Amino acid sequence: MTDAASGSVDRSVQVKLVLLGEAAVGKSSVVLRFVSNEFQANKEPTIGAAFLTQKCRLEDRVLRYEIWDTAGQERFHSLAPMYYRNAQAAVVVYDVTKATSLEKAKSWVKELQRQANPNIVIALAGNKVDLVQTSPSSSGSSPSPESEDEADDATATPGEAPSASGGEPESLRQVPREEAQAYATEAGLLFFETSAKTGEGIVEIFTEIAKKIPIEHILASTRGSAGRSAGRVGGARQEVNLEEQQSKKDACNC
Amino acid sequence: MSTISTQLRNFKEPTKDQLTHVFFSIPEAPPVPAKDKEKHGSGEVETMEINAILSLGAQGVEDSYAGKLYLLPPYLAFSSLDRKSVRFTLPLSTVRRVERLNARAGVYALSLSTWHGMKIIVQLTSLRPTADLFCSLLREALKVELQRGQMKAVKGFVKTCYSEGLVSASGVSENEREDGSLITETKDGSPPPEVEFHGGLGLQFKFPGDPKKLREASKIKLWTTYLKNHGRNLTLLRYPQCTRLVQVGLPNRLRAEMWETLSGSIYLRYSNPGVYHQVLLDIEGKSSTSFEDIEKDLHRSLPEYAGYQADEGISALRRVLQAYSNRNPEVGYCQAMNILAAAILIYMSEEQAFWLLEVLCDRLLPGYYSTTMHGTLLDQRVFESLVARCLPMISDHFQEVDVQLSVASLPWFLSLYINSMPMVFAFRIVDCFFCMGPKVLFQVGLAILKINGEKLLQIQDDGGFLNLMREYFASLGDSAHPESADPRARAITRFQELLLISFREFAVITDDTILSERRKYRNEIVNSIESFNKRSAVRNLKTLGRFTKDQAGFIYDALYKAMCEVPPPPTAAPLPLLLTTANEGNQERVETRIGLQTFRVFLSEILTWARNERIVINGFQQRIDREVAEHELIVRLFYFWDESCKGSLSFQDLVYGLDGVMFNDLMENIEWFFNLHDKNKDGYLTKDEVLTLSESFLFIFRYEIGDAYLGAVSKFMTNAFEYGDSLLPHQTDGETGETGPQQIGHNQPYLNLATFRMVVLADEVLESFFETDLSASFRLDPVPDLELPPASSGFLGDLWSNIATQDNKKIFHKLSDELGKTIGKHQILYRPIIGRLTKLEEPTARESLISPSSIKTPLSGGSSDTLAASNSSSTLVVDALSNQDNDGPSSALASAAFSPMPHFRAVNAAFMERTPFAIDDAGDDDDDDSDLEMIDVDNDDQVMDEVDAFLEAHDSGLSEADKELAKDLLNASPVK
Repeated sequence: MTDAASGSVDRSVQVKLVLLGEAAVGKSSVVLRFVSNEFQANKEPTIGAAFLTQKCRLEDRVLRYEIWDTAGQERFHSLAPMYYRNAQAAVVVYDVTKATSLEKAKSWVKELQRQANPNIVIALAGNKVDLVQTSPSSSGSSPSPESEDEADDATATPGEAPSASGGEPESLRQVPREEAQAYATEAGLLFFETSAKTGEGIVEIFTEIAKKIPIEHILASTRGSAGRSAGRVGGARQEVNLEEQQSKKDACNC
Repeated sequence: MSTISTQLRNFKEPTKDQLTHVFFSIPEAPPVPAKDKEKHGSGEVETMEINAILSLGAQGVEDSYAGKLYLLPPYLAFSSLDRKSVRFTLPLSTVRRVERLNARAGVYALSLSTWHGMKIIVQLTSLRPTADLFCSLLREALKVELQRGQMKAVKGFVKTCYSEGLVSASGVSENEREDGSLITETKDGSPPPEVEFHGGLGLQFKFPGDPKKLREASKIKLWTTYLKNHGRNLTLLRYPQCTRLVQVGLPNRLRAEMWETLSGSIYLRYSNPGVYHQVLLDIEGKSSTSFEDIEKDLHRSLPEYAGYQADEGISALRRVLQAYSNRNPEVGYCQAMNILAAAILIYMSEEQAFWLLEVLCDRLLPGYYSTTMHGTLLDQRVFESLVARCLPMISDHFQEVDVQLSVASLPWFLSLYINSMPMVFAFRIVDCFFCMGPKVLFQVGLAILKINGEKLLQIQDDGGFLNLMREYFASLGDSAHPESADPRARAITRFQELLLISFREFAVITDDTILSERRKYRNEIVNSIESFNKRSAVRNLKTLGRFTKDQAGFIYDALYKAMCEVPPPPTAAPLPLLLTTANEGNQERVETRIGLQTFRVFLSEILTWARNERIVINGFQQRIDREVAEHELIVRLFYFWDESCKGSLSFQDLVYGLDGVMFNDLMENIEWFFNLHDKNKDGYLTKDEVLTLSESFLFIFRYEIGDAYLGAVSKFMTNAFEYGDSLLPHQTDGETGETGPQQIGHNQPYLNLATFRMVVLADEVLESFFETDLSASFRLDPVPDLELPPASSGFLGDLWSNIATQDNKKIFHKLSDELGKTIGKHQILYRPIIGRLTKLEEPTARESLISPSSIKTPLSGGSSDTLAASNSSSTLVVDALSNQDNDGPSSALASAAFSPMPHFRAVNAAFMERTPFAIDDAGDDDDDDSDLEMIDVDNDDQVMDEVDAFLEAHDSGLSEADKELAKDLLNASPVK
């Protein structure tokens, strides 16, 4: 990220990112939250795939995400290769309140690891955590989960919630955080629990991906440093959060 | 866990009759008439077509057109020769009167009066007897309709159509059925007090678009005139002006009726009264995965439309989608259908929408919304090829920058542009789509690309392409020529320009183009879907066992083939393939499990002793007929592998089961075989089980040559009981030695593994069987590897597959067998399964073997049967003729090895040769009789084909002449 990246500060780096996951786990909502910081309760289902772009600044780089938000219904599965070909990153989304959606996510990960671009950076996102955070007090300063405040507030305290959320009151939760985390570590994925509704964890996904993506590889397409940091998921999270606080607001010029 | 569907294999090219039905939008195989047909015994020649000239009773309204009149009870249909100028589809029940006109000599003309008081005059221009026949058939068909009481149904039905009120209110016909208030309130869009006609949510929630801008009033006026003169709803005559009026956009109020009339869904609604409400009753309280999916999307279907922010709209949408998914569970529900349904519900009543959805999903967009979405993929491929043909520069550029057309065009097709364009424009495309058919989607798609051609040549990636398209669609309302000085040119919107280019420049894209392109690419798509499914099935296996991915693929192939073959009625999954929903209502993720019958076939693919291979030599060819063997052992294996005790096996179970036997050494094999027969798994075989096990041996060795195996098995039995008895000393010793065995009940534990092993190892033959032969009798790699070609070649679509149907192959085999019998060369041998001891007869046969590899290649393109024959490398595919003295056919057969097609010719050649035999042996026996029959059948077919071909030529020749005559007639004296 030294030469190549610094040379590209002005020129943004294009990153093709694809969202995959079972129907109605909130793929489109995750994207919408990231791209325009909104949440719509009733989002039209995606036919084929929706295409959105968003710029994201990280340190000295500007990334331009080209996001392919795919349809989740099983029968659209055979169309997916059309969208994930050449993708440098993928976010595989599941719903923490639905155990089967994690199974589907795993099969997506398998497919990506075998069929997609070999250098692809994959993030696993357990969405809809707002539904399982019944006691707002547990997640410190995070705003009430029901609220649909501006994302500035909503995302102000990402990463803290999970520590408390491993606990008790989560009656709706079907996928324990630890289980998903363990799987992600084993499969070499980035892992987040998110809420498109509150905004929790959303920006982090994209920032983490940005960090992990071999920019040099994309720019020069010669020096390929593939999965150089597969195992450092946990530690990396903390770093991001620190700089995330201030960078995010202006970085993603929505 | 994976779903394996062989549904795609069931595709059949539509027949000519079906195509005619599709063309006239006549529902296929109407259920009621089928019964009536028998009841009234109205003869076999039910349908008929005849050359005719159509003119309207009211003079000067339209030109006359030459074409064909079709009697397709309960419909009467007409189409002009060009298949587009004029056509109608009249339910016979709307025909109120038929009169033979008293015209000039030589002119045979009928006047048909319809329910709407319209007079249609048709001159039958065929020969007199043909015309007479047609008339009598017509009379019969009308009588049937009268008896069915359909004539009365018309009155009630037409009331549901908006046009009735429209026409009567304008005061021309003295139709008192509608109240006059209707017309006065049409313009402001609020519903009249008593609505008898069907309408959609728009009546209440307003229609999209500005009625002034859409020039609703003048469109209504034009349509009123047209509908008055040319019939309406059930009796609409589609003259060129109809199409033109549709192209400028249907008025909101009339849209529902015209959509159903143009698409033909009106006939479904007409002939199935009350069905929709029945379906609603049926689904009450039901639940299904489709319903769950529907629920998720209800609030996400055109959410910006007011009607879908209200409960009314949502529940109407729910009912229609649920009803459809229930009626057609194979399609169920596919995302995008919600958008279509939501869109049409703005204009249509639920019942209308339900039937239109059926026409859409089944006929207009076949396979689009199926579980594999093969129709969508196929049409995308077709679109790609059309772009390459019509817009080569764009196509080349896309290839260069690696942009995939489908990323943009797929949603266009899938949602009929409703999701892509502003609604007002999309609905106009939908208008044309229903009027002119699926080709419209392609034409519009091509026009979009053409209009944006220059910009498209600049784009560098998928994203740029999509953005460009998005901008373009957003600008459709703008002027196409904003700079123009001419105000009229400036008034042309980009959307109008789009339609103009679609229908002018891309008029070359016809229904036939689409059909033939689809035919061309169907195989490709089916193959790619199937190999995609195979890859994911293999990937989704929890464990591959000791198999490589390729080997698992072979297992999959065998399974797939078995699934294709076994369920003779494979359309519905339930019977042979038990579909069990995987835990929870996991959407569509249903694991395919096979039943015993399918398992037998599967096993016969990879396990030598699970099949009987008959070597048939008949003097022309030598082939191996494969049969699935039936034995208790195979049933046993099935349940042995069914570890979850579901009475069915999944792909995973099969992999796991095969893994348990294919990699075994001697000891493991013995144990495996022991366990297979130890039903209660207590580690002991009972006496009964020992007997069963011996039978299993006999079954496996059933075709071995010589006595060695038989001897081994009998030795085994003797030894087993000897050792077994001797190992029960404590009990037997107490008694007298003789009674010992009796004391042990037949189902008591008797023989343990160690003893069994000992007994087996005592025999050389059995030892070698367990050492190598058992594992080797499972053959993975070679068999399914060769199974693949039928999937990629033929089987579907192309010419060869029409000839190489299973039936034809059977006929061919039977024929050659019969021939072989006649010339005394017919011979059947069973191929040994293990084939270790083949010295008895083999050597000479070996001499005549041509190297197996050289045979495999030419045959690989061929049928599965012949393939099966060439599978095992030791097969005796002999160049039968090289040994035979029959010179005539031999030359023909020499080429037969290369493609199955010449096989057929070879048989024909054989016929020529054969005749003398037939005469010679005329009085021989039954064999010959059947032989003769066979040939007759075949010859008849050929003759019929020729006759058909002649008829074709004849017909068109006549119609040419007819046209001339018709023109003369028209010019000379108008028919009265």
